Amino acid sequence: MANRLSRAALAALGTIIPLVGAAACNEGLQPTPLCPERFVGICGRVTFQGTEPDSTEGVLVVAYPRFPQSRNDLLTFQPFPPPPSLARPFRGSQIYALPLSTGRYEWVVAVWKKVGAFAPGFSNADSLLKEAGFYRDQTDPTAPGVVVVHDSSTDSVNFVIDFGNLHPICTYFPPCP
Amino acid sequence: MRALLLAALATVPLRAVSAQGTAALYGSVRDSSGQPLRATVRVVNGDGVGVADAQGRYRLSAPGGLVIVRVGLLGFQSLVDTLTLAAGDSVERDYRLGPAVVPLEPVIVTAAKHSQLLSQAVTSVALVSDTDVARRAVTTVDEAVDKAPGVQFLNGQVNIRGSSGYVQGLGSRVLMLVDGVPANQGDRGGINWDLIPLEDVARVEVVKGAGSALYGSAALGGVVNVITREIPSGFHARVRALGGAYANPPFDVWRFRDYTGALEGLDVTTSYGTAAARGSYTAGGWHSDGYREQDRRNHWQTAAKAQWIPTPETRVTTSGSWASDQYETPLIWCTHGSCDDRGQDFQPFMIEASGRGAFTRSDKGQLAATVEHHASERFAWQARGSWGRTDFTDFQPTGDDWGVANRYGVEFRGEVHPTGDRVVTLGAEGSFSDVRTNIFTGDANPTSNVVRTHDQREFAAYAEGERQLGRLRLVAGARIDHLDVDGGSLATVLSPRLGVVLPTARAGVWRASAGRGFRAPSLAERFVSTFVQGIPVVPNPDLDPETAWSFELGNAATLSSAVRTDAALFWTEAYDLIEPTVDSGRIQFKNVTHARLAGLDLAVTATPPVAGLTTTLSYTFLHARALAHDSVSERPLAFRPRHLLTLGADYQRGVIGVGGDFRYTSRLDRVEIYETDPRVAEKVLDLRVSAVWGAWTLRAQLANALNYIYSQVPRTLAPVRTFAATITWTY
Repeated sequence: MANRLSRAALAALGTIIPLVGAAACNEGLQPTPLCPERFVGICGRVTFQGTEPDSTEGVLVVAYPRFPQSRNDLLTFQPFPPPPSLARPFRGSQIYALPLSTGRYEWVVAVWKKVGAFAPGFSNADSLLKEAGFYRDQTDPTAPGVVVVHDSSTDSVNFVIDFGNLHPICTYFPPCP
Repeated sequence: MRALLLAALATVPLRAVSAQGTAALYGSVRDSSGQPLRATVRVVNGDGVGVADAQGRYRLSAPGGLVIVRVGLLGFQSLVDTLTLAAGDSVERDYRLGPAVVPLEPVIVTAAKHSQLLSQAVTSVALVSDTDVARRAVTTVDEAVDKAPGVQFLNGQVNIRGSSGYVQGLGSRVLMLVDGVPANQGDRGGINWDLIPLEDVARVEVVKGAGSALYGSAALGGVVNVITREIPSGFHARVRALGGAYANPPFDVWRFRDYTGALEGLDVTTSYGTAAARGSYTAGGWHSDGYREQDRRNHWQTAAKAQWIPTPETRVTTSGSWASDQYETPLIWCTHGSCDDRGQDFQPFMIEASGRGAFTRSDKGQLAATVEHHASERFAWQARGSWGRTDFTDFQPTGDDWGVANRYGVEFRGEVHPTGDRVVTLGAEGSFSDVRTNIFTGDANPTSNVVRTHDQREFAAYAEGERQLGRLRLVAGARIDHLDVDGGSLATVLSPRLGVVLPTARAGVWRASAGRGFRAPSLAERFVSTFVQGIPVVPNPDLDPETAWSFELGNAATLSSAVRTDAALFWTEAYDLIEPTVDSGRIQFKNVTHARLAGLDLAVTATPPVAGLTTTLSYTFLHARALAHDSVSERPLAFRPRHLLTLGADYQRGVIGVGGDFRYTSRLDRVEIYETDPRVAEKVLDLRVSAVWGAWTLRAQLANALNYIYSQVPRTLAPVRTFAATITWTY
């Protein structure tokens, strides 16, 4: 009995050692470029503040070539269709990469999306979408920062997403309901 | 002329031997790792016999002709050598003994505060022998203990079965002893692993689970007892030189310097002993360039030990050690935008620009005196006093933090054997800690730069009895601690322990225990007042002690002459764990967490049917949960890996030894701060080789041979591939 057990233990050791050795060949931390190679668009780091509302469906980043002048302009964001939500958890910070065509963008903004479906004509957009933060001008932090995308990526488009300070659409285009 | 005279003198003894028709046989006896053995060397077919000295050297006379020599020592395989000697010959033969097939059971001193066989301990104990220490070309005790079963170091902070997690060195939940004397810091409660020169370490005993019934505060998760070498008779010396290099980053985009970092050091130990008095002295230091930016370090240390043995029953031991470090402080690694990030999300080898220039000077020392007296076969007592001191200054761009702390301790302990089957250990202990500082001030306004002094007193009494009932061995005891903190709270903690050991004929030795552990908040946790990355950290003088109940069921079995196992199921319920909490924009240490740590500890030692090969396997499964409290739901306890696997193998052939360890630590389920940073499992392979030529021993180690890049705690790069070699000359 004891001999069988010891043979089994030795066999287990003989099996485990090569397996673990092979597992060890997996790589650890790797360089993580802010922007993927040959990527055209903008990249940066978003930092989360505040507590994520329970009704959160997601948070996504989009860019506007021209700062919206009316509610109708809100649909001129790029890329279209919009990218998927940033990855959960919405804590700490994370990098993002937003594919965009070359050009000038006046508003890079994070949009908070509440759980729920849009009504026809986006009539309920006010209740489902809120501005959660945007890239700010480096000299005037109260104003949106302008980003120019060339044939290669543009990095360091960093900004804060503040769940404690969400702004509904009507903040920009009153009146609020 | 002088050479001729010396040659003539040298031949005189040989001629004398030749005249008697005998030959001289001399040399050394060592174990498989090169450690000298006081073995008996006997000429089987003659009268020659000798006992090797403390350095393993022997010399004896043998008759001319065919000679059969037997070399033996308890616990080692005997060796028979046959050689032909001519009368007048002087022949050198070096012998190496392997461990006995059925090794002697180790004797331990930590689990019950007195000597006992390992199999008599009611809790799990891991041993790190001097052979284990010597195999690795390392410089500090923590590096040698790191691979012990169930033990894990997180950025220098020791965890036994997930006890401590990581709180930046504040408030270790493991008590460190040096020869039985508590050595945790007086202010921060952490452990200075570099206080004891590694060359002075004989073995390390790691007692797992709550040990407060005998040791009081900090022994909540376990006890690590570093036992220094006995001082041998006669004059001895040892010189050890260390050299090595750190691998460069594996990717060019991570390169941070244009040279290869190196490390180098030198230690010297001397000792002299007689039957009545002995003394030893060690001094040395090392320098390291570090493996990342702003990581250079200089370390100097000295240690001395003296023993006076006025009678065979009485021993007086005094010891002292002092270490000084000046090291650059690589704060958190650089993330995008906080340094020249080269378009990377993070640069693990570089630090944030705001942290450049930070460095620390840290001096620490310990003095201890112990008197042991065996009054009779039934009663022995021990008294000891100790003084530990730490003095650190963190030089930082935003302002310097400093603290000077003392910890004084006294203990009187008695060991009574009323009958042959009973042992009672009882004692009283007291300690006084103080700190003068500009960071642990207790000031509610962290912006002020006041300097304050705080102190803490602890008084305790304990007793534990052991009784043999047939095959059953029962243990029961308790300790009561009273804590008194200036400007803080009073607390009294009772820590009982019950245990049982049952040897069986076919199923090994079973053990079971239940005990309570606790940890008094450190002065740092109570009175810290500073900023961490711009966030104020405010004091909380009214912190309560952390407590825990530990349960264990274990079994140690010898499956065959080749395989030994030790397995334990453990369960710890911890209450009022002290954690830094962020509340209203400030950080404060609070008693918050009710945690549960349960799991399995398994260690297997196998000697496959290949002469000289030994393999080990240890595995710990840990289920560590922070239970729901207030509005926080249940979640994984931070900084506890679910799986911890260590594989080891060593092969010895003649004077050459090769070996290696592989450590796998599963990806941490949860960390505090920077929770979304990328993190990976730990997979570290260490390789080593050794060779012995007479008095010279060469050891080399390639730590993290795969140059696996990982972090144990957020934004802190773990050591990269490091080559280190030591060469030791022993007299």
